[in-house]
Amino acid sequence: MAMHDSGKRPWTFWFFAAFFVLFVIFLYGPMFVVYLLSFQGEGGGLTFPMNGVSTHWFGELVNPESRSGDIASSFQRSLGLGAMVAAITVFLSVAAGLGFRRRFLGSGVLFYIAIASLIMPGLFVGLGVNVFFSVLGWEPDWTTSGLGSQLTWTLPFGLLIMFAVLGRFNRSYEEAATDLGATPWQRLREVTLPILLPGIIGVALFGFTLSYDEFPRTVLTSGTENTLPITIWAMTTNVTSPALYALGTVTTLVSFAVVGTALGSIALISRRRRGGDST
Amino acid sequence: MNAPTNGNGRIEVMNVTKKFRDTTAVANLSLNIDHGSYCCLLGPSGCGKTTILRMIAGHESPSSGDVRIGGQSVVGLDPVQRGTAMMFQSYALFPHRSVIENVGFALKMRGASKDERNGKARELLQKVHMEKFANRLPAELSGGQQQRVALARALITNPRVLLLDEPLSALDEYLRLRMRGELRRVQKELGITFIHVTHTQLEAIAVADVVVVMTQGRIEQAATARDIYTAPRSAYVARFIGGQNVLTGVVEGVAGGLATVRNAEGARAQFPVDKANPAKGASLFAAIRRDRIHLTRNSTYRNGDELNAAVGIVHAIENQGTYVKVTLDLTTEEEFVAYMPDGEYFRDPIDIGDRVVARWDAQNLHLLEDASGGQQFAAADKDVALM
Repeated sequence: MAMHDSGKRPWTFWFFAAFFVLFVIFLYGPMFVVYLLSFQGEGGGLTFPMNGVSTHWFGELVNPESRSGDIASSFQRSLGLGAMVAAITVFLSVAAGLGFRRRFLGSGVLFYIAIASLIMPGLFVGLGVNVFFSVLGWEPDWTTSGLGSQLTWTLPFGLLIMFAVLGRFNRSYEEAATDLGATPWQRLREVTLPILLPGIIGVALFGFTLSYDEFPRTVLTSGTENTLPITIWAMTTNVTSPALYALGTVTTLVSFAVVGTALGSIALISRRRRGGDST
Repeated sequence: MNAPTNGNGRIEVMNVTKKFRDTTAVANLSLNIDHGSYCCLLGPSGCGKTTILRMIAGHESPSSGDVRIGGQSVVGLDPVQRGTAMMFQSYALFPHRSVIENVGFALKMRGASKDERNGKARELLQKVHMEKFANRLPAELSGGQQQRVALARALITNPRVLLLDEPLSALDEYLRLRMRGELRRVQKELGITFIHVTHTQLEAIAVADVVVVMTQGRIEQAATARDIYTAPRSAYVARFIGGQNVLTGVVEGVAGGLATVRNAEGARAQFPVDKANPAKGASLFAAIRRDRIHLTRNSTYRNGDELNAAVGIVHAIENQGTYVKVTLDLTTEEEFVAYMPDGEYFRDPIDIGDRVVARWDAQNLHLLEDASGGQQFAAADKDVALM
């Protein structure tokens, strides 16, 4: 809301500006309260007033003797699962996206089947996977059934992003590579993938963040070891200390770091290509 | 650029047809292009010229027929085995690679060492005066600079044939004129075959040894640039190349190699028919250069008063600097234009709305091959109704 040009705004400007401010408060206010309360003093409780300021509850998170359960391991599991989901989503979405550029028998049907899993209720996907595993006599685990359930959610997204990315991809780059003697593999490695890289990072980012806070598909499929969202859910029912808030602050920071790194690298790549510097 | 080239770049396109699903892009087309010549494929968009180019390049394969380079069939071979290189319409420089990496790309694919490919790339960049920009990215270059880099990149493999897909269309007018001269110079220096696709008539006439005018997947005329301009084969070519008025009418009689022809408006002209003896009542077509027309103000002349003349009303006047373009309305549907030398025009300027007689010398008419009709040239958008 810059106000350098002197005064003469119509009243509607101020009306909508106020509306926008309310909206921002509505969006970020609740989380801000959580961040603030995570610095609650040692003797403080789950609600205001602040009883001093400390980082005590952050320490509590990594204290294995605390009541809050094994947060550190859940956190590690969620990071690992997110990374696996991101990697598989990238691999399959890029491959499928490149493949779908050519019409083939049944490509339309295949596409809709792939996209349809977006509208399946997540909890039932998880339930189905769980039942399927028990029918086969397999033990559900976050690395198998959990991973699979999450992929039903991230793959359609990844595929849709790749469609958008490839829609803007000029095929004459590939033809030029072929013309200059590149084999199909060289063309993929030296030309196609590097040019698509910003979009691929986007797919990875989506895969990771969707997995990192996935709950409905994971809660019934993660087996005996929990991912972070499930641990947090459990904590809300039995942990009554501001450690919960501290956890909220830390996971938000992690999300921001991941998103920031991804967007930063995309921006860097496209600025280099648009000619930001001359190296 | 005296690098050795890889053999004979004679192109033979033999009875080639290319179909995309149910549309025919190229219909049973044959074309020979001599080694070391500069050939322009010219035509409106969708005429099949780019498809021909891509089939020679190996980015498209013919539905039937054969493509030979240097006497060898190349159908099914990849571009490297063909000894061709292509310059793409928007250059397709790899955005993530520097200029020198772009130019050296083909050598990298062949496993050349970094020193080797950078050395060769630098040599080529020097030849297109781009060595100062070796470390830039394509996005940091102007259109003309990108074109030079694309040229260097295509030439690094010493191709025997260079294929250029609308190489100048991304440039502004000034650069277009400069770069087309540059392309011609490079082609002369290398002595290899250039095939250049364009939809701009003057560009083709300016650079090419051989101009191939195409329409609807077939060749309308393939001839030297000069012949295309001064001796178009058909009304389509004459109209498409421009600079000519197309006249048509019905034969009244033939004498001494001249057919007297009368048009729908009653104007009469003599068409040189050589030894041919067209029947009375047959329709003939002829072209005459616009700078071979003389205009005189006249308020009483009526069509048919003289041979080789027609009367009309001045419709538009454009000063082109060295000449003045005067468009007449002869009440026929085809445009009729006279180019008057500026000196002659300004001695006694005629004005829009003036009634003028256009006269010409029968020797300057050039008979076109079109038989009765002209309707078979579906790509020509106007009916032929002029004298």
